[in-house]
Amino acid sequence: MAEIIGPIDLPPATPADQPDYDVQLESLNQWQIAWRRFKRHRMALIGSSMFFGMVIIGLIGPLIFQYDPYKIPVPEVRVNAGRPPSLAHLFGETGRLQRDVLTLVINRIRYSLLIGVIASAIGAIVGTIVGGVAGFFGGWTDTILMRIVDALLSLPLLFVILAFSQFIGQGAASWVTITIIFGLFGWLGIARLVRAVILSLREADYVDAARAAGVSDRRIIFRHLIPNSLSPIIVATTLGVAGVIIGEAFVSFLGFGVDPLTPTLGNILSGSLEFISQGNWWWAFFPGASIVVIVLGINFMGDGLRDALDPRSKI
Amino acid sequence: MTEATVETTATSAARERRAGVGDVLLDVRDLRTYFHVMDGTVKAVDGVSFSIRKGGRLALVGESGCGKSVTALSIMQLIDIPPGEFAGGEIIFDGVDLLKLKTSALRKIRGGEIAMIFQEPMTSLNPVMSVGDQIMEAVLLHHKVDKKGALAIATQALRDVGVADPTRRVRQYPHELSGGMRQRIMIAMALSCDPKLIIADEPTTALDVTIQRQILELIKAVQERTGAALLLITHDLGVVAETVDDVAVMYAGRVVETGTVEEVLLHPKMPYTRGLLESIPSQAKRGQRLSAIKGSVPNPFRMPNGCKFEPRCPYAWETCSESEPELIQLGPDRTARCWLNDKRFHDRLAEYEASMSGGRA
Amino acid sequence: MTAEAGATEPVSGEVRKSGPSGQQESGHGGGKTLVQITNLKTYYPIRAGILRRVVGNVRAVDDVTFEIRRGEVFGLVGESGCGKTTLGRTLLRLEQPTAGKAEFDGTDVLSLKGKRLKDMRRRMQVIFQDPVGSLNPRMPVSDLIGEGLLAQATPENGWHNRKIRDKRVADYLEEVGLRREYTRRYPHEFSGGQRQRIGIARALALAPEFIFADEPVSALDVSIQSQVLNLLLDLRERFDLTYLFVAHNLSVVQYISDRVGVMYLGKLVEVADVGELYANPRHPYSVALLSAVPDPDPRVRKRHLVLKGDVPSPAAPPSGCRFHTRCWLYEQLGRPEQCSTQDPELRVLNPTGHRAACHFAERVSEPAIAETAAQQDVVATAEVVDEAEPPAADDGASTSSEAPLAN
Repeated sequence: MAEIIGPIDLPPATPADQPDYDVQLESLNQWQIAWRRFKRHRMALIGSSMFFGMVIIGLIGPLIFQYDPYKIPVPEVRVNAGRPPSLAHLFGETGRLQRDVLTLVINRIRYSLLIGVIASAIGAIVGTIVGGVAGFFGGWTDTILMRIVDALLSLPLLFVILAFSQFIGQGAASWVTITIIFGLFGWLGIARLVRAVILSLREADYVDAARAAGVSDRRIIFRHLIPNSLSPIIVATTLGVAGVIIGEAFVSFLGFGVDPLTPTLGNILSGSLEFISQGNWWWAFFPGASIVVIVLGINFMGDGLRDALDPRSKI
Repeated sequence: MTEATVETTATSAARERRAGVGDVLLDVRDLRTYFHVMDGTVKAVDGVSFSIRKGGRLALVGESGCGKSVTALSIMQLIDIPPGEFAGGEIIFDGVDLLKLKTSALRKIRGGEIAMIFQEPMTSLNPVMSVGDQIMEAVLLHHKVDKKGALAIATQALRDVGVADPTRRVRQYPHELSGGMRQRIMIAMALSCDPKLIIADEPTTALDVTIQRQILELIKAVQERTGAALLLITHDLGVVAETVDDVAVMYAGRVVETGTVEEVLLHPKMPYTRGLLESIPSQAKRGQRLSAIKGSVPNPFRMPNGCKFEPRCPYAWETCSESEPELIQLGPDRTARCWLNDKRFHDRLAEYEASMSGGRA
Repeated sequence: MTAEAGATEPVSGEVRKSGPSGQQESGHGGGKTLVQITNLKTYYPIRAGILRRVVGNVRAVDDVTFEIRRGEVFGLVGESGCGKTTLGRTLLRLEQPTAGKAEFDGTDVLSLKGKRLKDMRRRMQVIFQDPVGSLNPRMPVSDLIGEGLLAQATPENGWHNRKIRDKRVADYLEEVGLRREYTRRYPHEFSGGQRQRIGIARALALAPEFIFADEPVSALDVSIQSQVLNLLLDLRERFDLTYLFVAHNLSVVQYISDRVGVMYLGKLVEVADVGELYANPRHPYSVALLSAVPDPDPRVRKRHLVLKGDVPSPAAPPSGCRFHTRCWLYEQLGRPEQCSTQDPELRVLNPTGHRAACHFAERVSEPAIAETAAQQDVVATAEVVDEAEPPAADDGASTSSEAPLAN
């Protein structure tokens, strides 16, 4: 389809592929264009609403719904398995202590999000630096760094956390520790990605033009290579948040993650399993559904970001 | 020395062909292919008409964006609908309008009666299938043979296109072959089903000069041997001069000049064609400024009223910006879309002719 | 060579300097030597195995010697894998040379480091082929061109100052035929031809003496191509430039160059004044190359010399003369042993300085030889080798960061 040309030019595949007409557009830089494209992408908008909706609930919710998350209520009726959703308790009650599920969920969203975002950010920063260095300098630096990455990638995250828990006692890790652990694993994927991007960008003609003009290596890295590699990093980091949230939920559900006093969505789930056979579906369902909403939202947003930032896709 | 012997040219051969053969194989009438994109509608092909006789050879020439590739893809119905749309016209192939055919019938024709050779042999071949398998796939679709028979046909096809050691090559994968070799495979695939029409879309643009020469000679040889008609899409006027008998020049989605190769390349009646010819660099022009067509191709979203070439035309006057000329008939199969050829403006035509000294190089 | 039956006079054109065809007097090219390349080699190592040991070399540029004179346009032609682009890039220190010297105005560029290298860079600039890849999509034009100015700023030229830089950028945009206001725009807002002009402005802004033009018009349509070619020639006059013009389109090279070099598989096989080369090629490869170009004049019926097979890999070039595996003269002369055992030198053939690297260069133009050679059986030409890909030398998991690009 070499001859369909919109305002975003498709890179020519072969000589004389691109018509040479005078394009008159307002002067937008790439980020502004990406933003416009993002706004048009239906999935991205849905995803963003989902995700940011949850963020808002997580932040503001606890202020509105006044059930104190730490107070153990004294319910009127004692039902060991907890009561199903009702007007007083929109998400029902948990088993055993009969706490309000809605309050629990709302209060835990923010910790799950925190862990997700911070771990992902750590991963992005460390990964970019490592991948950038490996990609730009090549040679032995590259080889050594990548072999380290390969080695670390072969360790299953779960076992690391298990092993770690043995040291500090099961389920005793603080959320900061868990965040760091996830961050330290998250950078591996990003490092590989960044390295690949930098390797290809390094060969670009405009980099050669800069070198030919005597521009310093440092300036080349910061003004040419990194800005052009941001797009895949952004997308990967965004999707990484989802990965961390699910990972943390999984690990906490098994009891090896964050200590029970720190509220995360995964944490709630750990007690709920035994009560499912007693008919209490809502205790697991609502936290689980919240995770799903957050993760789906992030994934849609990530898709939208990827399409918006890639000049070749058509939106 | 490879001298240039100025022999009697393809003119006589072409006339023979025309006289003897006569039957029209492909008749494109007022074809319109539009694309609906974010910023509007691109009229990639806007009223294109031409015809090819059985065994005839026609080139569609133009620069990028003129619509020639889209025309070829339209004939093969390889356009994505949406965003594409066939907004009008007919493509009559051997008496049948391809635009009205059902997919199943179309599939028989594609590959079977009309075969296409693409520009990029690298991306047109499936990297995970062996070369032989790819040819056999087409053969099995269009012929009633079993696998062994198909293999034999494929091997012979490779031999026909000059691939040495075809029994070994047949099992190789595209990445094991060079660009020229891959293009030969494409040609073999195209030929394997005995098509009546071969459409070659810039078949040599991505190749080195000496390989280009091999492939061009091959296409010519193959076409003559099988008697298939040839529709060649290219931007290279040299390739046109050597390979085909008739040419249609395209600009901005329209045909702007047609005729035999001698008529159009030696006596262009449309300033765009002339501009193209004059801007080809050659040794004869050393020391002089290269004649260049000023400006650039019109933005498809902002086409000029009137003649689409007018903003760049050194001969334009008021009429040209006011209304778009039709294709003016200058002789049998000879047309030009330019007001200069309208009888009312014959004195302007005289000026135009005078500024061209005899012949082109 | 080609039938100049009724040679064309284009509509416009001031005739600058031309002589009867075959003997071109160029007003340029008689000058002093600006660039002297001696025994230049650029090899890319091929690594294999876990420890990535070097198992061979892609010999992109293999012992090349020639000179470029001040003020001339030196055209370098050849097909993919011949090394012409690598040669230019090595000269500009964009590639690592393996051996040899490249003297620019007396100084060996290949041995420079640090500040001296940077100073030298200002005098030698480059124009690239791809209008899309040669401009950083995230930078506006003012930065694209201004960056080099900033890098080369000194107290004398005042390029540290943004205002001065911007004005210089705008000035050069005008020089190349674009509007001053375009400094604020981004590359994606321009057409291919305009982008090439921006690239040219970028090269010019540093006021270099020498420009390596790497296929600057190959990616452009014919009508835009001639605009850019005219521009390049104008600029040469205005700014006293010297060009190394690499291209695979022979007509373009024919038009723009004063002298031409032909490369094949890393070696320079012929060097001559442009008219001399086209009228009288002395290397069988040049003959084939020239013969392969299609002529837009339909009355011309050249007989074409079609070469057999594909270009061999630069990692494993044939023994002796690299071209002998495809050489028509080799066949015609009954496969003389010299050709497969001895690599011919680039030797001077006549007083104009015409050089060719062929043991039998004198016999190339014998009429009998050329006639029979031209009658090849076209269909059976795809023989032999297709080692166009260098041997796949990586193990599956290795990550190769070399760039053995052909060219």
